[in-house]
Amino acid sequence: MSELAVERKTKKPRLNWSKKTKRSILGVSMVLPSFLLLLVLVIYPVALSVMESFKSRDGMWTLDNYLYLFTEPHMLNNIKHTLQVTVLSSVFVLTIAYSIAVYLRFNHSWIAKMVGKLYFIPMFIPGVIAIYGFINFYRDNGWIARLIGEGNLPSIIYDMKGLLMINIWFNIPFTTMLLVSAMSSIPNAVIESAKDAGAKKRHLFFQFIFPLTYKTMLVALTFLFMGIVGSFTAPFLIDRNAPQMLGVAMQQHFSSYNEIGQASSMAVFLFLLCSFVGYFYIRSNMKDSTKSY
Amino acid sequence: MKKLIIYTVGVLFMLFVAGCGEESSAEPAGNGESASEDSETAEQDQVEISVYSSGSLNVQNYWETIIPMFEKDHPEVKVEFVFVPSGTGGQSTMDRIVAAKQSGNDSGIDVYEGSLADIVRGEEEGGIFYQLDGNGIPNLAMIPQENIEAVEYYSVPYRASAVVLAYNEEKVQDVPNTAEELYQWIHDNPGRFAYNEPGTGGSGDSFMVTTIYNQLPQDAMSSQDESIMEEWDKGFEILKELHPDLYRSGVYPSKNQGTLDLLANGEIDMTPAWSDMALEQLDKNLLPSTIQLKQIDPPFTGGPSHLMVTDNGDDARKQAAEKLLNFVLTVEAQEVVIEQMFGYPGIDWSYLSDELQERFADVSDGYRSFTGGKLQEEMLKRWQREVATQ
Repeated sequence: MSELAVERKTKKPRLNWSKKTKRSILGVSMVLPSFLLLLVLVIYPVALSVMESFKSRDGMWTLDNYLYLFTEPHMLNNIKHTLQVTVLSSVFVLTIAYSIAVYLRFNHSWIAKMVGKLYFIPMFIPGVIAIYGFINFYRDNGWIARLIGEGNLPSIIYDMKGLLMINIWFNIPFTTMLLVSAMSSIPNAVIESAKDAGAKKRHLFFQFIFPLTYKTMLVALTFLFMGIVGSFTAPFLIDRNAPQMLGVAMQQHFSSYNEIGQASSMAVFLFLLCSFVGYFYIRSNMKDSTKSY
Repeated sequence: MKKLIIYTVGVLFMLFVAGCGEESSAEPAGNGESASEDSETAEQDQVEISVYSSGSLNVQNYWETIIPMFEKDHPEVKVEFVFVPSGTGGQSTMDRIVAAKQSGNDSGIDVYEGSLADIVRGEEEGGIFYQLDGNGIPNLAMIPQENIEAVEYYSVPYRASAVVLAYNEEKVQDVPNTAEELYQWIHDNPGRFAYNEPGTGGSGDSFMVTTIYNQLPQDAMSSQDESIMEEWDKGFEILKELHPDLYRSGVYPSKNQGTLDLLANGEIDMTPAWSDMALEQLDKNLLPSTIQLKQIDPPFTGGPSHLMVTDNGDDARKQAAEKLLNFVLTVEAQEVVIEQMFGYPGIDWSYLSDELQERFADVSDGYRSFTGGKLQEEMLKRWQREVATQ
């Protein structure tokens, strides 16, 4: 035993070195597959479309595509519309999902249990099918209109209202799931001791619950933003023809107009928008990790 | 433990790489295998040709009906059918033929179903398709002469479809006969007409194109001269005027099916629609039986589908391909086009039974073709800028 220990000690420097190499090989080999995947499926196409966005139709370098994107009135309207839909949808989803999460955390009735089991159902319904169901439900002479009498229902399909509603439907499950897990990590002890100290419900929420979940809320917001800003199917089938969401405009420029440069400039713009939001996500994660180590 | 992790990662990575490789190589290998197996069991002098086609499900169904019929009639020819669903790289078939031609190889594609643009491209690439004649394909004589002369005998326009007006006969009493009457009807019945967003489907596109070119001389539709764009103003003015009287004061649903859904729901009473699509859905009761179809004057646009024979320098296969094309033009095969695909026959209506002629009398008034090429894109852009954005 002691002999062995001595041997180990004398060999330590060499062993340590090879251990390090081993570790770094392990590290690299674990990162390599996802990095290669990223390289082939993300970085290469992104680089291509960045290049494409600076090229005119005859292959010359130009800024025209960006000029088009930021000076054409209808494109500016499209950008405005995209941001409007994204921000509004995110705010609605976050508000609703947050309320559900709070409700599920602090209410233990059978209704809460039911809600807890049901809220993620929309996740398992394929997008296009949900959208067609939604259209049949809310269109001007659809099920709802027949129930409450045609003409009493405001126009929902082919309108921004419909788009916001379907975005809420699609995004609530995942957002709620994130927030529920954040809520459940608040220890009961914290809340009970606060209550014992005489904290009112308002205080309890603003001093304890909100600060403890706000980081997860930011994460949820980034996911929401990125998911909605580049969406295609729902706005393609439900929104009006003008102004369009950028995802729809991009497809139109790409396949109907054959304007690959202009479509690419939109893609780059969306990419920058998302990386701007993604920056906050990464920053909040980095803060987390510096704290814990 | 660490070793285990390294091994696991290594194995996973290799599996991943192998999986990718396998996926890309599996298909051709599989095809080749089954093909050689088949030819082994077949007779010695059997000629094998391959047909490449693309489109919607009805096109696939058509070929899967026709090929067994043909093989029964011609046991000396074996047909391999490759179907590329639309939107999944139909252009790549054409690229394959061109690449094979340029490198002097056999493309392995004998009969290709494509569009007028493919014929033009084939010519530009130095004649990748055979020029056909009545010796190889006697039934060419049954095709209306102007149709085959339009493609200079490079293809067999074996079927066609066109955009027609679909309307609900219970709601529409004064059915428009001309384009002018149609515009008037739309203004008189606000909110009851819709055409789909032109970039998303051919029926709305046809409405836009015909509205613009109805204001111009007849032969303007085949002009690719960009100076004609200045004369579009009058047509766009009409489209803009129609906008507030369309469905929901100017909503253009996406895709051909979008407006047909509205028609089926009763949200609108009239819409332009592809004849084959509407007839098929009437047949399957997806559209109520109160929906009628009609061609107006001047007619909407439409177009034939072309079959080309690829020049691979193999006479036996060329002759076999010609036999197939000849069979496609028989009355028997053309009836499949009509009965099953609800398309227009490629051969003259007079060869078909009186009963069929009568059934299709409503929509058989013909169609116009728009061959403006790149002008199409400019028109779509201007439509989005001026008509959709109001």
